[in-house]
Amino acid sequence: MASKTAQDVSSEPRGFELLLAYVGEPLVLAFLELRGIAQTAALTVAYAIRGQRRREETWSQALRIGNHSLLFVAAVAASLGTTLVYQAGLQAQRILGDLTLLGPLYLQLLLREFGPTITALMLATRVGTGISAEIGSMVVTEQVDALRMSGVHPVEYLIVPRFWASTVMMLCLVCFSVLVSWVAGMLTAQLAFGVSPLTFAKLTFIIPGDVVLMLLKSLVYGMTIPIVAGASGLAAHGGSEGVGWATTQSVVNCSLIILFEDFLLSGFGYLFLLR
Amino acid sequence: MAIESAKPSEEEKSWSMGVADATLGALGRRTLSSFGVFWAILHMSWEILIRFFPPRIDGAELMRNLYNVGVRSFSIIVVTALFVGAIMVIQAGIYVEQYGATGLLGWGAGFATVRELSPIMIALMFNGRVGAKNTAELGTMKVTEQVDALRALAIDPISYLIMPRFVAMVSMMTLLVVLGDATALLGGAATSQFLLGVDHLVFFRSFVELIHVSDLMLGVYKATTFGVAMGIISCHYGYAVSGGAVGVGRAVNDSVVSSAIAIFVLNYLVTYIIT
Repeated sequence: MASKTAQDVSSEPRGFELLLAYVGEPLVLAFLELRGIAQTAALTVAYAIRGQRRREETWSQALRIGNHSLLFVAAVAASLGTTLVYQAGLQAQRILGDLTLLGPLYLQLLLREFGPTITALMLATRVGTGISAEIGSMVVTEQVDALRMSGVHPVEYLIVPRFWASTVMMLCLVCFSVLVSWVAGMLTAQLAFGVSPLTFAKLTFIIPGDVVLMLLKSLVYGMTIPIVAGASGLAAHGGSEGVGWATTQSVVNCSLIILFEDFLLSGFGYLFLLR
Repeated sequence: MAIESAKPSEEEKSWSMGVADATLGALGRRTLSSFGVFWAILHMSWEILIRFFPPRIDGAELMRNLYNVGVRSFSIIVVTALFVGAIMVIQAGIYVEQYGATGLLGWGAGFATVRELSPIMIALMFNGRVGAKNTAELGTMKVTEQVDALRALAIDPISYLIMPRFVAMVSMMTLLVVLGDATALLGGAATSQFLLGVDHLVFFRSFVELIHVSDLMLGVYKATTFGVAMGIISCHYGYAVSGGAVGVGRAVNDSVVSSAIAIFVLNYLVTYIIT
């Protein structure tokens, strides 16, 4: 596609070439996207280790990423927990007729899978769009160019504080969301099936690997979101249309990368941690 | 305090008044603004509803939106569903391996996938890709006064811009979840074959024998409900944008966050009503 010169414009592409272009175009686009994200990731990690520390900015970002998401995360975690326990309870009642295992298995699945991943997807929606909309507006209003003119790298100035804030806050928010889902599940089990909270709250099945996997997942997701969202924000161009494009791109990229990481980490957990 | 002076001094009084005022003020402002948003969303739903009797939709615009919403989301939905199926098989595989019940793998992974995860994950991706883009597009049109131009030409902006988007989102969300369920099965079968070493025929057999049509249909009903919610919410936020590029970014952020909350709350309601 890119190598199409003035001479071969005259010869119409044939079926096979069209097919190749049809297959290749998304691959090339995805490759370019991933390369941009990888560059931003490398820069972010490099500046996070030995760049300037912007303590106050990091604090205020942590407030915005963490504290201001609490209500949102709680609402989502509670409704998810209620739904999961309700469905699992109905099935267990129908097939096993025994609900004593409901609580421990639910908590285990929550720690391994739903707690970190759903929270991360929610934060990719809330925080990721926020970051890319903010940085995207700065790009289209040429504030980022002004930063470059003053000899500050935008990644160091804009993304690194968000990186630290999001990494720390994601750990806290995942713990909070697991707790909320668990309590919501406990209430559902009590109200819908009459399982007493004492039976529900048994920790018999939980092994250290579960908690390690949860923390590992939240750490990785927390680092991913600001990098991917920041990369989309910095790639914005054009006016308000560009900001909209950057925000859309950021949610899609964040969610897909989080799902991919979830797949890798779950496989890792299956092979090494949860034996 | 009370011993020293029975009446609070002027300074104390103003301080306590200040805190109470600020708290009440913040609470009241939030209540009023969320009530306003809720009312505006109801109003948008009403505007959309009355245009179905008789249907007033721009045909060409509808086809274009069906293509943009459905066909162009195809690859993202397929990738998402593959990962969802794979992840659920890994999670179920841990238990299956513990108890040696390979015949239940398709049921365990498939049940969670078709009833819960596939609709939710696909809705979240759809929300990020289509809902955000929708808000951004409508917002850009609003900010650049294209909506006013339509009105000046005596074209109803709701039946020209919003109805096609709404119909496209509802119908395509429903169809994409059906596609996503099938793809998730393929991802699950591949994972069970290559990572867990459970033959894919065993996986498929337990899926076909133990999953009822009603389980699949619950996912499809959920998808339609999510599609309606995302359509109304994203159109509302896009149509209500003000304030240039920054306003568009903020509107996209609000739109995806509200849609995500709506998805989880509706998920609970639909599960509760149908089962």
